[in-house]
Amino acid sequence: MRDLRFWRRRNAEDDDLDRELRVHLELATEERLEAGVPLRDAQLAARREFGSVALTKEELRDMRRGAAVERLWQETRYAARRLLRSPAFTAATVLTLALAIGANASIFAVVYRVVLNPLPYGDSERLVALEFSLPVGNVRKIYYIPSRLYFQYLERAHTLDGLALYVATNELTLTGHGSPERIRVSRTTPSLASVLRVTPAIGRWFDSDEAARGASTAVLSYGFWVRRFGQDPNVVGRPITLDGVPTVVVGVMPASFAFPDPRVDVWVAAPFITRTTATDAYTFAAVARLRDGATIAQARSELTRLAVDLDPSYPNNGYKALVSTATALLEATVGSIRVTLWILLASVGVVLLVACANVANLFLVRSEVRQREIAMRRALGAGNRAIAHYFLTESTLLSLAGGAVGLALAWIAIKVLVAFGPAVGPWWANVPRLHEVRLDAVVCTIAVALSLAAALAFGSIPLVRFTSVVESLHESRSTASRSRHRTRHLLMAGQIALALVLLVASGLTLRSFQRLRAVDPGFDAASALTFRIGLPRIDYPEPGRMAAAHRAIIDRVSALSGVAAVSASTCLPLSEQQLCQGGPLFIEGRSLPPGVIAPFVAIRAVDGGYFETMRMRVISGRGIERGDVEREEPIVVVNQALVNAAFPGQDPIGKRVRFGNPSLSRTAPEWLTVAGVVGNTPTFGLAEPAPFPQLYMPIFRSRRVNMAPRLDAMSYVVRTKVAPQSLADAVRRAVGEVDANLALAQVQTLQDILERSAAQMAFTMVLLAIAASVSLLLGIVGIYGAMSYIVSQRTGEIGIRLALGANPGSVARMIVRQGGVVGLAGAAVGLAAAFAGGRLIQSLLYGVSPHEPSVLAGTTALLLTVVLLACWLPARRAARLSPLDALRTE
Amino acid sequence: MPRTATTRVELLQGTLDMLVLRALLFGPLHGHAIATHIQRTSEDVLRVDHGSLYPALYRLKTRGWITASWEPMPDRNREAKYYRLTAAGKRRLSAEHSKWRQLARAIGLVMEPAR
Repeated sequence: MRDLRFWRRRNAEDDDLDRELRVHLELATEERLEAGVPLRDAQLAARREFGSVALTKEELRDMRRGAAVERLWQETRYAARRLLRSPAFTAATVLTLALAIGANASIFAVVYRVVLNPLPYGDSERLVALEFSLPVGNVRKIYYIPSRLYFQYLERAHTLDGLALYVATNELTLTGHGSPERIRVSRTTPSLASVLRVTPAIGRWFDSDEAARGASTAVLSYGFWVRRFGQDPNVVGRPITLDGVPTVVVGVMPASFAFPDPRVDVWVAAPFITRTTATDAYTFAAVARLRDGATIAQARSELTRLAVDLDPSYPNNGYKALVSTATALLEATVGSIRVTLWILLASVGVVLLVACANVANLFLVRSEVRQREIAMRRALGAGNRAIAHYFLTESTLLSLAGGAVGLALAWIAIKVLVAFGPAVGPWWANVPRLHEVRLDAVVCTIAVALSLAAALAFGSIPLVRFTSVVESLHESRSTASRSRHRTRHLLMAGQIALALVLLVASGLTLRSFQRLRAVDPGFDAASALTFRIGLPRIDYPEPGRMAAAHRAIIDRVSALSGVAAVSASTCLPLSEQQLCQGGPLFIEGRSLPPGVIAPFVAIRAVDGGYFETMRMRVISGRGIERGDVEREEPIVVVNQALVNAAFPGQDPIGKRVRFGNPSLSRTAPEWLTVAGVVGNTPTFGLAEPAPFPQLYMPIFRSRRVNMAPRLDAMSYVVRTKVAPQSLADAVRRAVGEVDANLALAQVQTLQDILERSAAQMAFTMVLLAIAASVSLLLGIVGIYGAMSYIVSQRTGEIGIRLALGANPGSVARMIVRQGGVVGLAGAAVGLAAAFAGGRLIQSLLYGVSPHEPSVLAGTTALLLTVVLLACWLPARRAARLSPLDALRTE
Repeated sequence: MPRTATTRVELLQGTLDMLVLRALLFGPLHGHAIATHIQRTSEDVLRVDHGSLYPALYRLKTRGWITASWEPMPDRNREAKYYRLTAAGKRRLSAEHSKWRQLARAIGLVMEPAR
């Protein structure tokens, strides 16, 4: 629009010049005609006398363009000078805008990089994660796929164009290069690179021949290559030792590749299952590429059909009930955080609005102070354009400065977010793709666009105010601002309403966080150190050796001073692997009707004294003791949730259970006797809707029990009499005495585990709290400023009141009452908005209604108190005036 | 009319501006009239390239020394763009004039020292 007008104006100037030059030539010709020169000669002479018309026009056009640039530069300089003359106004505006723009730019950077940006794989929108739901079972969502189903899909799925399996969080011990280190390994099928369409930065990906031969090859992550190999370009071909197995490095992935999460150090080919060794165990996650033209809906129905068809011979198998919920990989990766991030973006948007209200207020005050000056300029002939330029250059300068400082703030904020945000961890507690967040061109563009929008908005405030010259010149200070106070009151009320909405949201997440942390985890998190030890397969080839090593470690660590008790489990509560191991539970003497599926339970193998060390509650029967492990008693202990699911209203003690699909086992699975019942511990997260059935069995060295967890890695719990972390070094030495090649991984306290599981909630809570406090602070500053200004405008009136005998207290009350009415109105609107919008943030909350009265009441009370304080300070100042001084200011 | 050597001399920088201002001192004129005025009063010695007059006029206008408006020409049935000296322009002219006087005197002293 502006451009168009500019162009039209240029055209008008060109037309004017054309006309002027035409008149000039005509006059020159006529002069010669009058002297008797023939027409043709007269025209020629006139032209000759003039020189080149085209050149003149060109020259003038250049001069005009140069003048425009110069004018702009000059106006900018003048504006800058004017702004520097009022440093308080300038600093307040720039800082306010910088805070708001910085907050918006940094949260937008997170939203853009995490939610909007496609995953960094070729044609990534065609990638799907193969997830399932089990509508009739007690598992809502399954993120894993049994290897038998994998082969079924590999051979028969027409909607898929490539399928890869992977295990995200395997840990192996790297030895040979310095001290042994537990590194994170992702085992994958060789198809992963082709499915994701990624290529290594150096070397190559492993191929299927190697995988089939069982050759040990590894591809390094970029970060691991830098950290451990110092970016050695000749790393390809180098041997490394993983769990005692000599392995050859064949490639290094680019820095951007972080599948399935950024902690993976090394990818190795899964020692692969074939069709004949495939099992029903849910151990691998699967990612697939949709065939061109196939939709997710088609893939889902085909994958469901193929699962149901898999095993027709056995009527109770779990495949019958599987429903494919194949999900776009991006959605599967960031789905858990998306709503949270959008809500955070909305909340910083609110901060921006509050900030804008503040700046608008500042501009109002400034424009009123200069009202007469502007009226004077206008009377002296300054047009609308000149006045508009005058204000727009100021607001543009301020906004761009605010945007620049804001971007700098955003740069810092993003660094902090990426460094301290919960980038890794189980999906319910982290912010996925956080490592991809950075300040980029898109974010900068958004920030600049925001500043320019702000510039236009604020620059036009004074313009709409100066509609009439005469009125402004007539106005005296005492009558000037009646109607203007209305605008100011509206701005104040709006700020209060917006701040209240954020305060409520922040209060609700704070309360949720408290509720989450107050959840009884079923164990005592105080003073307990945990760590995980994995035994290299080459040194510990069979369960007997593994059990002996674990026993030796427990004995050594128990002997340390400061240690009260030690035990171990294949899987701790709130483990990153969540389910760790699970399977359908069959109960003796109970036959399942066709189509009914056995309850699915989590399975853990524990050493003696585990429940005592964890301080879990034994509800009935007994726990698992050291003697049970030594004698390999065929017993299990179940949790209360399992009793409720499988033995409702019965006493489970003495009942016998077993695992495994009898149609698949060569020998009948062994029965195990229920010896005790313990309290529930969380499996999928503190906020899981219902506790998951869990079953504990002793570590079995030689007894063949179907689905018994593998013993190659166990998590240890050390109950301490001293600060748990202080024992870490002693524990490390004790483990080294058992086997110098063993490395401790995930050394953390039970308290750490609890805190990590609330990390996503904490992340949301902290960011919302920051947004709420910034908006509260800005709002308060704005209200204070506006009230002070109103009071200063009413100084004359106050003086009259005081002179006529009003007592100072009543004057102060009058002003506070005025602010209070505005505050109440704003709070009412804010409460209504918070109430209406409550459902939007429901998914962020835990154990709190979005309309929780105590939160609504508490935040409103807090806000109103602060508002009244912000009004009372200027009021008190006004009441303390001496009538004489007050009247003199007029 | 053959041009004499003197007319070929480039006007010193800023001199044209001064001449234009001087031409406008006794009343508004349009571009052609300014050019002919300078030519005539200098007895045809100073011949302004009419094309170069307009950039000068534009320059003077942006500096606020002259204003311009379309006005009907007396005893002709048409309008021309008339240029008019502003108060600032008058001040500028007298400043330029005294500067020029000093310069001319100085050059005169150098070229024709008192015998």
